[in-house]
Amino acid sequence: MIKGQGRAGYWLYLVPGAILLTVIIIVPLGWNVYLSFTKYRGIKPPEWNGLENWKELFHDAEFWASFQHSIVMVVAMVVLPTVFGLILASLLFDLVGRRFDGKIAGLLRAVYYLPQILPIAIAAIVVGWILRPEDGALNDLLDAVGLGGLQHNWLGSPDTALLSIGAVMVWIQIGYPVVVFMSALQRIDPQLYEAAELDGANWFQRFRAITLAGIRPEIFVVVLTCTVAALKVFGPVYALTRGGPGTSTTVPSYYSYTEFFTAQRVGYGATIATALTVVVLAVAIFFVRAQFRLVDEEAR
Amino acid sequence: MRQRRIVTGGALALAAALLVSACGGGSDSADSAEEINTSPTGDGQTLTVWTYEDETSAMGIAWKKAMEQFTEETGAQVDFQLKSFEQINASASQVLNSDSAPDILEYNKGNATSGLLSSQGLLTDLTPAVEAYGWADKLSESLQTTARYSEDGVMGSGNYYGIPNYGEYVQVYYNKDLFEKYGLEVPTTLDEFTAVLQKFKDEGITPLAESAQEYPLGQLLYQLALLDADRQWVTDYQTYTAPADFHDASWTRAANTLKEWVDKGFISKNSTGQKAQDAGDAFTAGTNPIFFSGSWWYGSFTTDAKFDWGTFLFPGAKLSPGSSGNLWVVPENSDAKDLAYKFIDITMSPEIQNLMGNSGGIPVAADESAITDEKSKELIKNFTTLTGQDGLAFYPDWPTPTFYGEINAALQELVNGTKSVDEVLTQLQTDYDKGVKEITG
Amino acid sequence: MTAQLMDDEKTTETRAPQNRRRRRTGLEWLALAITVLVAVVMIAPLLLVVLNAVKSPADFSAHGPLGLPTEIYLDGIKTFWNAVDFPRKVWNSLLISSAVAVLGVLVSVLNAYALGIGRVKGRMWVLVAFLLATIVPQEALLYPLYIMFKNVGLYDTIWSVVVVFIVIHGAFGTYLLASVFGAFPKELLEAAALDGASRRQILWKVVVPVCRPTLAVLAVFFFIWTWNEFLIPLSFLVSADNQTVQVGIATLQGERIMNVTTISASALLGIAPTLLFFLVFQRTLTRGITAGAIK
Repeated sequence: MIKGQGRAGYWLYLVPGAILLTVIIIVPLGWNVYLSFTKYRGIKPPEWNGLENWKELFHDAEFWASFQHSIVMVVAMVVLPTVFGLILASLLFDLVGRRFDGKIAGLLRAVYYLPQILPIAIAAIVVGWILRPEDGALNDLLDAVGLGGLQHNWLGSPDTALLSIGAVMVWIQIGYPVVVFMSALQRIDPQLYEAAELDGANWFQRFRAITLAGIRPEIFVVVLTCTVAALKVFGPVYALTRGGPGTSTTVPSYYSYTEFFTAQRVGYGATIATALTVVVLAVAIFFVRAQFRLVDEEAR
Repeated sequence: MRQRRIVTGGALALAAALLVSACGGGSDSADSAEEINTSPTGDGQTLTVWTYEDETSAMGIAWKKAMEQFTEETGAQVDFQLKSFEQINASASQVLNSDSAPDILEYNKGNATSGLLSSQGLLTDLTPAVEAYGWADKLSESLQTTARYSEDGVMGSGNYYGIPNYGEYVQVYYNKDLFEKYGLEVPTTLDEFTAVLQKFKDEGITPLAESAQEYPLGQLLYQLALLDADRQWVTDYQTYTAPADFHDASWTRAANTLKEWVDKGFISKNSTGQKAQDAGDAFTAGTNPIFFSGSWWYGSFTTDAKFDWGTFLFPGAKLSPGSSGNLWVVPENSDAKDLAYKFIDITMSPEIQNLMGNSGGIPVAADESAITDEKSKELIKNFTTLTGQDGLAFYPDWPTPTFYGEINAALQELVNGTKSVDEVLTQLQTDYDKGVKEITG
Repeated sequence: MTAQLMDDEKTTETRAPQNRRRRRTGLEWLALAITVLVAVVMIAPLLLVVLNAVKSPADFSAHGPLGLPTEIYLDGIKTFWNAVDFPRKVWNSLLISSAVAVLGVLVSVLNAYALGIGRVKGRMWVLVAFLLATIVPQEALLYPLYIMFKNVGLYDTIWSVVVVFIVIHGAFGTYLLASVFGAFPKELLEAAALDGASRRQILWKVVVPVCRPTLAVLAVFFFIWTWNEFLIPLSFLVSADNQTVQVGIATLQGERIMNVTTISASALLGIAPTLLFFLVFQRTLTRGITAGAIK
């Protein structure tokens, strides 16, 4: 494409990144795979024990249950934030920004992003104040508006604990897609909307035909990064419920953390981490392939 | 371009380092045989001390004073660093195995913490120092249990790897104002205690402040089990000298009682969604008149509770949850061990111990007549009663590193009713056995 | 903030002047109401932090987290400030986050140039390899990295954390920028090539300037994400002098007791720098994430 130079020369630009990646990620990952075949308590050298950890993993009901909880996390951290993020971003951009005031749209977007700034440990304390069963803000509020019957032990009942964490994650996550989508929307030619409006297209039709099609690359980026984050979510569970009540909110990453650092069974922790990596990697490859295929099709 | 070369160089060095290092471990403990110098001079030296106690707590106050005195006596400076419990908990083995290790630090007692580190050779054997300074005479038998660890890191026997300088135990905090209002006396038997709970319930008050998300409910279960247990039962449970049976009379009765109390409304089902802090807040706010929990709450109730309150040992109990406080441990990598021992000795001195007692802590070697505050006296007196009858039974979650979370998880299910008493006990048995097997091999 | 708002307004005004003259419908008012309501839900918990940061512990236990403070109590803030040597922690966090923001973007740009514009062979798999950095659970990195860092003397230095997050966040940057560069206007590249620009010149003189808004967005993300990281700084930054704000906040949560109002105070102080940073730079977030925005 650029005169006199083949593509091969571009490889040079990958050198620093590739070296860093190898040292910081690939080598430790390889080490983890090795550890997954050992018994290791973190200080004295690891002892080889073959497939023991993997056998245990396949029969470990808690591990498989934790993966089921990941599905809820994917809904809470990927599906809902992306859908709401799209709706809110286009409402802000297309409606509030254009029909009311750009100032308001900018301010609202900033507010939506705020939970992302709050460290999870702090967010968890605040969420605790809101959700705690006695004198928690949510239960008090329900009582005040005459819905006292809906009061609940949100984080303490197995039927609502995971859903409550999910709701918190929606709250935390939503700012990210809104910000990304709103800046993507700037790229869309406003005349497209005006033309569609003159043709009598309603808001939803415009949303589907122009907005969704226009920001597809960003949707891919958001969905993939959020899915990865959802599958390896750790902080909120650790800070809010420690996996309880019972084991109703354990997730794979939390489980591997406790094996690594509480039980000091580093070998088994590494096994869980390796298994988790394989699953997330498979999902990532699926997404990236789909994205590349789409780009190639469009290029044709 | 230049930048890139630097990055490359660093990266290669890192990779090479990984290849070279088989593992970090291995420490020579030859120096423990050296003579202990009980009057070290520290001019120009610095002693690095790590703790994770709030500066305003009794321990924080006493230790601060000890550091001043230490500098006066030895001429060495103290580099004091407040750490988070979480940080020490998650990375102690890594830190102590590096050059960044402090000279002395506060660390948790028990098999899963100090025991594990001592068995991996990361902690200095303090036995020579214990002999040189005579600390063993200051510590009662049950306090020494948590200071000594076997080669496998099991507490109760072997060398000294840590020195406690305060104690802690679990007792009943009660709201005197509310007791008076309903004409209730301090109960002395379990039946009387149950009657008090019933009375409050009849008045529409949930009597017990509880948390099943964190430690309080587990400690109550353990206390109920201890009611008809003896010292041998505790030793077997804590140090695996005989298999623990969660379907024995003690545990069964404890779990049944707990279940009954939940069903009768003495304990709110909401406790599954509450943290320890929430339960403490509920007691401080006067919502629940009774809170069964540790002496560590004492300070915050003193400053924050707006009503008159008191404490008593669990009615009818010979044994209660409790132990020495956290330990002073000296990392094998410490390069100022004599100074570290001297510092420990200062924290054991009557002056520092009395200061701790008067600040709301439980000193291990205080002069009781020097404690002036009335409430502090009561706190220390109850502790002395307990140690006098060899009543420190440690904590239910100590036997295995993961048992803390597992007890909470099981009790949440008991309170929620998702598991029966029998299923909960079976669950505990499975978790306990699995963890113990990991330790004893 | 004001400058930013003016900026927004200008954009909208030049883009859709005639639109605002039409009467707003009830449905549009409803939509506005919904977006405002969402904003209230988003911000309410942060207000709780502020509320409890200036409350005394006794006040907190008497009236709970929701009660208004009976008096403004600043001891919590003072205690935290002194207990953890707050200015030092802010300096460390600032240094680490800025270094990651700058170097992370640099690495992302280099990677993405090869992948998005160079379109090197097998770029999909190269991209997947980079994505591994965001895929591997962080706890899996701690033991190996601990040994490596200890052996090269990076353990307990802020550079250990900087290097790790350049890679982890750089992987996100690589992915985003590679997608963006893939859509880079070809005419611009070809024009530059015709002028005889070398590959390196094209990167720094054409691609980077055109994508500057996107790079700024990335830098803001990296800064905030790094600021809030906890597990890796907790494990690798041992000495008090090297610790970050997040690790400092954790020192207040004891083994069994936590002083809730001091923690609230610390939270307030802990998010103040990022909040400030965000408010200053949030205007960049409006600008395009994609090169296509520049016509």
